[in-house]
Amino acid sequence: MTREQPQAPATRLVETVITPPVIAAVSAHAAAKVPGVVRLEPGLRGLAGSLTRIARQKIKGLEPAPTEGVRAFLEHDPPDVRVEIDLSLSGLDQAAATAQAVQRAVTRAVTEATGLTPSAVSVSILDIEIRGGLL
Amino acid sequence: MAMNHATQDYLLPCGRDVEEVWDRLDEVDAGRADAHELDCPHCRATHESLRVLRGLTRELADDDAEPSPDLTGRIMAAVRAEVRRRELVPLASAEPGEVQVSDQAVAAVLRFAADTVDGVRARHCRVRRSAEDELAVDVELRLAIARDFDGDSLDVVRERVTAAAGARIGLRLARLDLVVEDIYDA
Repeated sequence: MTREQPQAPATRLVETVITPPVIAAVSAHAAAKVPGVVRLEPGLRGLAGSLTRIARQKIKGLEPAPTEGVRAFLEHDPPDVRVEIDLSLSGLDQAAATAQAVQRAVTRAVTEATGLTPSAVSVSILDIEIRGGLL
Repeated sequence: MAMNHATQDYLLPCGRDVEEVWDRLDEVDAGRADAHELDCPHCRATHESLRVLRGLTRELADDDAEPSPDLTGRIMAAVRAEVRRRELVPLASAEPGEVQVSDQAVAAVLRFAADTVDGVRARHCRVRRSAEDELAVDVELRLAIARDFDGDSLDVVRERVTAAAGARIGLRLARLDLVVEDIYDA
């Protein structure tokens, strides 16, 4: 995703390029902090992609920000950002309410970090932990 | 390759255990699949995921680098997530984007709610999208009851399961069928 920003002198433009892993990492961080979220859930392909990214970053001596469980999609024309998140919740809060809190938190975090507001944040709840009891 | 304890008793919607499916993967790939394995969409989809897993583990086995201690756990969590992602039911959301929940997560919550009634042990729970309301589900819950079980308590089961669906998930039950399929000595 590319944003063009005016900069002095007024006639000169600079580009800020934001890639899907950045959106995914910002989203993952925001989602994981929402109360009631136990963990994000990567599938096999997501895990494979994540391990590849981790390996590349570690070669450079970097510790990559986690993106597992999040898929970010960027369109350039027209500009559009969509985020999909797979996660597990605790059974202590209502799942639908927690999922909506995740949608709001991710939308806010991505907008603040990138200036791009996601058109959709989709949440899939893959597990609800009930070890501590529900009722 | 045997799977660890995290996958034991992990049933697919068709009733087969993931570990059983894993154990028979070589047989299936050798053309010796049984009729169920050939026809069942859950088993076939699980086969595909497990083949990806097998490919990954072989790559890791060939790699001289020491794997991180939690790698196996992450791979198995990914397998479970892959299975759960296949059957999702929608939840209402006022925000842009969809919210969905795994039918197996719903089933676990509803089974737990039924188990809170004295003399009831929940068994299989099948969750399906309602044909009449896209934000509701049809549920069939199979139970075993104690020999001295009070028949009126089935109403309590119905109340608690319905309440748990709304309060803990945010899901409406369009239909709840209770099937008493066994009896046990309390």
